[in-house]
Amino acid sequence: MARLVVRWPARLPVNLMIGALLVALVVGVAALSLIWTPHDHAAMTIRNRFQPADGVYWLGTDQLGRDIVSQLMVAARNSMTVALVAVLIGGSIGVALGLLASALGGWVEDLIMRVADIGFAFPALLFAIMLSAVFGPSLTIAVAAIAFINIPVFARVARASANQVWTRDFVAAARAAGHGRFAISRDHILPNIAAPVIVQGTIEFAVAILAEAALSYLGLGAQPPSPSWGRMLSEAQTLMFMAPHLAIYPGLCIVIAVLGFSLLGDGLRDITDPRLKRRRA
Amino acid sequence: MQLDRVSVAFGAAVALREACLQIEPGTRLGIVGESGCGKSMLGLCLMGMIPDAGKVSGSIRLNGKELAGAPEHVWRRHRARDVAMIFQEPMAALNPLKRIGDTVMEPLEVHEGLSRSAARARALALFDEVGIPDPDSRLRQYPHEISGGQRQRVLIALALACNPSLLVADEPTTALDANVALRIIDLLVRLSETRNMALVFISHDLAAVARATQQIAVMYGGDIVERGPTAQVLGAPRHPYTIGLLGARPGLDNRGRGPDGRRKRLVTIPGTVPPLFELPAGCRFSGRCTREIASCALQRPQPLALGAGQVAACHLLGQAHAGAGAS
Amino acid sequence: MTAPLLELHGVSRRYRMPREALLRPPAVLTAVNNVSLTLAPGQTLGIVGESGSGKSTLARLVMAFERPDEGTVLFEGTDLNGLSAGALRMARRRFQMVFQDPYGSLDPRRRVGWSIAEPLRATGATDSPARVKQVLDQVGLRAADAEKYPHEFSGGQRQRIAIARAVVTRPALLVADEAVSALDVSVQAQILNLLMDLQEEMGLAMVFISHDLAVVACICDRMLVMKHGDCIEAGETSRLIASPRHEYTRSLLVASGL
Repeated sequence: MARLVVRWPARLPVNLMIGALLVALVVGVAALSLIWTPHDHAAMTIRNRFQPADGVYWLGTDQLGRDIVSQLMVAARNSMTVALVAVLIGGSIGVALGLLASALGGWVEDLIMRVADIGFAFPALLFAIMLSAVFGPSLTIAVAAIAFINIPVFARVARASANQVWTRDFVAAARAAGHGRFAISRDHILPNIAAPVIVQGTIEFAVAILAEAALSYLGLGAQPPSPSWGRMLSEAQTLMFMAPHLAIYPGLCIVIAVLGFSLLGDGLRDITDPRLKRRRA
Repeated sequence: MQLDRVSVAFGAAVALREACLQIEPGTRLGIVGESGCGKSMLGLCLMGMIPDAGKVSGSIRLNGKELAGAPEHVWRRHRARDVAMIFQEPMAALNPLKRIGDTVMEPLEVHEGLSRSAARARALALFDEVGIPDPDSRLRQYPHEISGGQRQRVLIALALACNPSLLVADEPTTALDANVALRIIDLLVRLSETRNMALVFISHDLAAVARATQQIAVMYGGDIVERGPTAQVLGAPRHPYTIGLLGARPGLDNRGRGPDGRRKRLVTIPGTVPPLFELPAGCRFSGRCTREIASCALQRPQPLALGAGQVAACHLLGQAHAGAGAS
Repeated sequence: MTAPLLELHGVSRRYRMPREALLRPPAVLTAVNNVSLTLAPGQTLGIVGESGSGKSTLARLVMAFERPDEGTVLFEGTDLNGLSAGALRMARRRFQMVFQDPYGSLDPRRRVGWSIAEPLRATGATDSPARVKQVLDQVGLRAADAEKYPHEFSGGQRQRIAIARAVVTRPALLVADEAVSALDVSVQAQILNLLMDLQEEMGLAMVFISHDLAVVACICDRMLVMKHGDCIEAGETSRLIASPRHEYTRSLLVASGL
């Protein structure tokens, strides 16, 4: 029904193309891990520990003889899943709250946005540590924490964009047609704030990957034997001088994933934000 | 200033096609047309401010000096001193963070090399000339503190600062209320007369142009379709587009109800202005013209002198003319 | 005389300006001050004034987008501001609006047919596709245009779409706020003629708001001149043009070239 009208510039911005390439790489590898990995990522062969990279173990093995490529691939999938679920949950609640604030205005808007400000001021890691202390560390807690910190971000973006859309004549026309605030929010406001929300979502995806890695590093994310870039890093830390490659590879993966989504988000903003749109002849 | 067969093209889109104009010192020329007709492009031509992507051909002469294709630094010497411009939106043309006095005095100090106190005296004199009351305190105010009409007067003062011999006014009254617009028009006319300064008044508003100018050029789709003395062209238009435009304008004779009790309808021009790159190759108005003949869409009508200084480009007039000549 | 369709009795609307100083009470802007008017079915009332004269606020009051601080707005004898939110939404099918900016008044992300049918859906009517086709034809567009998006149309065509949406519920009153001001002269004439056609076909009453006295004079039986929120002169269009009583009306006449 509603269509996202994005006018593609004749030349796509460089950051968009690089971002899309990196994201495609990470997502592709994560998807591939569903059907195929070179080895079982959890199979320990103590005999083969600290194997160097060769034809069998492409990037070598770790201190327990597990294949690093397989672990990185499954970890990518875990990371994507956590980020996706967390951003979707946080985004949906945040956008809903932002739309509500914008539609109702007055003290409701003030209340929602002040609470969002408080949420903004709350350090995400601290919140995750607090939740883990209460419920015990698990992936679900990590997802919940990351989702929670996303709520105020999306609420702000949604409300700011929605407030602009509310001043447009077609919204007044919808009111004249006899629609109420909620129908207008659903039919007109939501489709018209989709672009900035999607841009924000992409950038938040990068933030969520980073947050998941940090939580896993602290042992508050994915629990063994499920691999995670963050935990691979923390485990490699003690072996830093003996086997530096164990720390380098997961670190590189985090950089690629975060950079990819950040660039993609920036690029999307460049082509959808009219204020940044350069004049084209 | 003289324009001879000046064209401006952006790729395949021709924004201006072989425009010929002559502006004598101290005269007032109006350029009218609807949005996208090329009237603003013509104004920019006079200022040498065509966007980089546009390709200009033809001849633009200022006091006999050829300026078409001249580089930016040559044009810059002539801007402000010989040709100056004012725009539609006076707020956008003023730096909101600068006091009005500083905005007006800066070019005087930079270009004319005046001292601060001399520049101030000139600014006060200019404000007085353009009818800004209490100029002393205006100099200290910021643009948002004065009304739209006053802002336009400030811009006119700014444009006059270096005594240009030609002032290009692009839709100077469109953003203003009718009463204020009227006073701005009268001011421009008075300035043109007292300073012997030529004025090019670009507007979509026929009533405004009629009041402001002696000569008029009607534009459509990048072509000047008709030009001549203002009273002559508006009183006895010959080009079908000019006739349509005048008929479409609500006025006294198309008001009220007809004998059947139904409200009188306005004369309309069917269709809408096509985008620049979809304009017909021949007469730009073909396809919308009600009196179209076969050659209209294919062949470009040449401007035809109709007497009393009136010139129109239309095949029908050419035929009538040739017919009259033969018999 | 028939019962009036629309009556405004002593309507005022004030806005509180942002506070300039902490201790001083905020300034109050009176956008509309004690305006009364009546409009009979099928008649057209013009409202003329410069920017800031309160004419758009008056339109918003007639449309019940805003509540007056004083006075009442009666439409077909009912006080619109006394209705419940639901009843007001249902009542809206009888009075509709056309806006100034043909680019802003249509949702860019919705097909034209969807936008035109919106008032039907909102007021619980059925049979929309056939009705949409009918109004598209009425405003001089093709039925296939319902499948297109607003950016595929020119300004004049968009204003036709906006008018189609406004008349789709067969309203008794149309409020047109600067509906032709953003259009080129030749297109403006087309839209004005269209409004006159619709008015005769549907027996539509109109409140036609414009800063351009010439436009108002050509489409309105009676008009009302506003300045700074006050109604300074009202009466038959021909009388107002022939012998304006107020100096301000006279200056508007001169400015419009009439």
